Amino acid sequence: MTATENTQFELSADQQSMRELAVSFGREQIEPYALKWDEDKYFPVDVIKSAAALGMGGICVADDVGGSNLSRLDAVLIYDGLAAACPSTAAYFSVHNMVAWAIDRFGNEEQRKRFLPKLCSLETLGAYCLSEPGSGSDAAALSTRAANEDDSYVLNGVKQFISGAGAADVYIVMARTSEPGPKGISAFLVEKGTQGLSFGPCEKKMGWHSQPTRQVILEDVRVPAANLLGPLGTGFKIAMSALDGGRLNIAACSLGGARAAVAKATAYMRERKAFGKPLTDFQALQFRLADMATELEVAETFLWKAAAALDAKAPKAPVLCAMAKRFVTDAGFNIANDALQLLGGYGYLADYGVEKIVRDLRVHQILEGTNEIMRVIIARSLIAQ
Amino acid sequence: MKILAVVRQVPDAEENVRIIEGRVDLASSKLVLDTMDEYGIEEALRLRERTSEVEIVALAVGSARSEEALRTALALGSDRAILVESSEPLDVIAVSSIVAQVAQSESVNLIFCGGQQADWDSQALGAAVAERLKWPQATWVTSLTVDGDRISGKHDVDEGTETFALSLPAVITTQQGLNEPRYPTLPNIMKARKKELTRKKLIEFGTSPRVTPVGSSIQIKERLRKMLDGKDAPAAAGQLVDLLRSEARVIA
Ligand SMILES: Cc1cc2nc3c(=O)[nH]c(=O)nc-3n(C[C@H](O)[C@H](O)[C@H](O)COP(=O)(O)OP(=O)(O)OC[C@H]3O[C@@H](n4cnc5c(N)ncnc54)[C@H](O)[C@@H]3O)c2cc1C
Ligand SMILES: Cc1cc2nc3c(=O)[nH]c(=O)nc-3n(C[C@H](O)[C@H](O)[C@H](O)COP(=O)(O)OP(=O)(O)OC[C@H]3O[C@@H](n4cnc5c(N)ncnc54)[C@H](O)[C@@H]3O)c2cc1C
Repeated sequence: MTATENTQFELSADQQSMRELAVSFGREQIEPYALKWDEDKYFPVDVIKSAAALGMGGICVADDVGGSNLSRLDAVLIYDGLAAACPSTAAYFSVHNMVAWAIDRFGNEEQRKRFLPKLCSLETLGAYCLSEPGSGSDAAALSTRAANEDDSYVLNGVKQFISGAGAADVYIVMARTSEPGPKGISAFLVEKGTQGLSFGPCEKKMGWHSQPTRQVILEDVRVPAANLLGPLGTGFKIAMSALDGGRLNIAACSLGGARAAVAKATAYMRERKAFGKPLTDFQALQFRLADMATELEVAETFLWKAAAALDAKAPKAPVLCAMAKRFVTDAGFNIANDALQLLGGYGYLADYGVEKIVRDLRVHQILEGTNEIMRVIIARSLIAQ
Repeated sequence: MKILAVVRQVPDAEENVRIIEGRVDLASSKLVLDTMDEYGIEEALRLRERTSEVEIVALAVGSARSEEALRTALALGSDRAILVESSEPLDVIAVSSIVAQVAQSESVNLIFCGGQQADWDSQALGAAVAERLKWPQATWVTSLTVDGDRISGKHDVDEGTETFALSLPAVITTQQGLNEPRYPTLPNIMKARKKELTRKKLIEFGTSPRVTPVGSSIQIKERLRKMLDGKDAPAAAGQLVDLLRSEARVIA
């Protein structure tokens, strides 16, 4: 096979190699332990850190600070590959990389040099703090405050559902610095260990067990003004543009998970017999499998298109990212759920690995903006035109 | 020092292969760098990390698709690559002639090649190259130290393990245990595309295959598709042991 950079619907040889790298790393370092991590609710920090040697700590971060300087499309392929081993662990890479990317994109030189080398080498882990107990979908209504005092800001409030909280070292916190609404929000870099920063207990949840989800509690947390990310009042803009990439990544995690579920169901159907023949002989089941595979291909192709649009900074990119997030995470969940059905009662058992994928993929329809909010974004763009 | 790392491409053991007319259909198979050869690349990289002035040249002899294996070798950190393209399958002795000629024209000091091919299991290449070059060889090496032009290490022999010392130039064949090969990095995958890859034709080497493959019979193992009823656990364990012993023959 030769390089196919020039054809529009094929990956380049480099991109194929990148996906394969993620698939092998996942297969060798993550998949053998994924069910155990899920059962034990264990956050595999060591394994995550070991991926730094492959360049997975700063996938879309510039190379002067240790990043891999790759495109959004490249990144999508990497999360897809990792998620085939464990969607939940792959999704934490997405959270961390979203934080690193935002600092690279919106940070000043001093901040980039201070935070990014260690984030890229995964010596430090990142967390993204937007949601609050009283504001999820309507994130612009957030109420965490940051008061300016001399050369510093004092933060007070509670952040809800924060992935990686407690284990992470660098928190991007969106907080209100002036008027209500999006323009009164600024972004701050808060380091673990800062006085007044604490965490709630680990939430008990349906899936995503290989990463902690906790409240981040800010009580008179004082950070130097040098930790303000981007100009005052641009925090919401920063949060939203980080989510454009985040949405692609989470969609890619659904794609990889669904891909693994299809593979598991296909292998199972070849071996399982009912009514004297293998399940693969029943046309009803063949058709179901055919539909699953088709949905997977459609989801993949469209996700690549949205990623390419974001790489090209196309004006339509945010809408395409919202569409991709909605479509791919819905398709991914349905495919995984269908795969579970194909395994019959065994699909419902933990040992077969499919119910875990279903549980992990379910939350992708909720976070990084719910799929209803994706429709709000899409519809708004249609009506505005 | 200049190191030649010989690499091959083999079907990915993690994937299924299709058999067409009694042969593995390579065209539809996913091919990867032979793990045995990864040990050689890794050892060369470690030598370069410890010593200055080490150049690593990866060499593949085979179909045009072998370029993929060379790109992997480059992404892992080899400095440049040479592909000797052959559309017809070459036997190991023919390949050894090419490897020896490249070693001489490149003036390499050390050659790494896999102890055994992952697909056809041949172990002859290293020995054949050493013989052609009249160089010393150490096969099945599990640890290696280079000090100037002296190398020492450990390798497996029929009787057990032997420590050896020899002087460069030399041929080393690798095996599991020598090291833990690294993964390539994402940025290096991109950079590999820009590294030098020289293509040469078989005809430049005056070599042709001396053995013509006539046919092959491939053992296809169907799965037994047996499920044991686990309600009576001790009985199920007994049945499982029986199956592993009599059917799968993986235990004695
Ligand atoms: C496991 C997990 C990890 C998370 N990690 C993070 C993280 O790291 N950082 C972070 O900041 N947040 C995180 N979140 C929070 C997540 O982004 C929010 O849960 C999500 O945005 C929805 O907010 P909410 O839960 O408050 O739901 P609500 O906003 O209360 O929504 C409830 C329902 O109403 C619907 N709805 C709301 N508004 C509208 C509307 N205008 N039109 C139509 N329907 C509407 C929603 O779609 C939803 O179905 C995480 C959540 C989970 C579960
Ligand atoms: C939590 C749990 C509790 C249970 N409790 C009990 C219990 O108390 N007592 C009991 O007896 N059993 C119980 N069961 C077993 C349950 O009834 C079986 O799992 C169910 O009947 C399916 O059988 P199977 O798992 O062997 O799937 P299979 O029969 O192997 O079916 C696999 C898939 O193939 C499909 N399929 C099979 N044949 C055809 C066909 N001809 N055409 C189209 N599609 C086909 C099935 O719909 C399914 O999607 C339980 C199962 C679970 C998970």
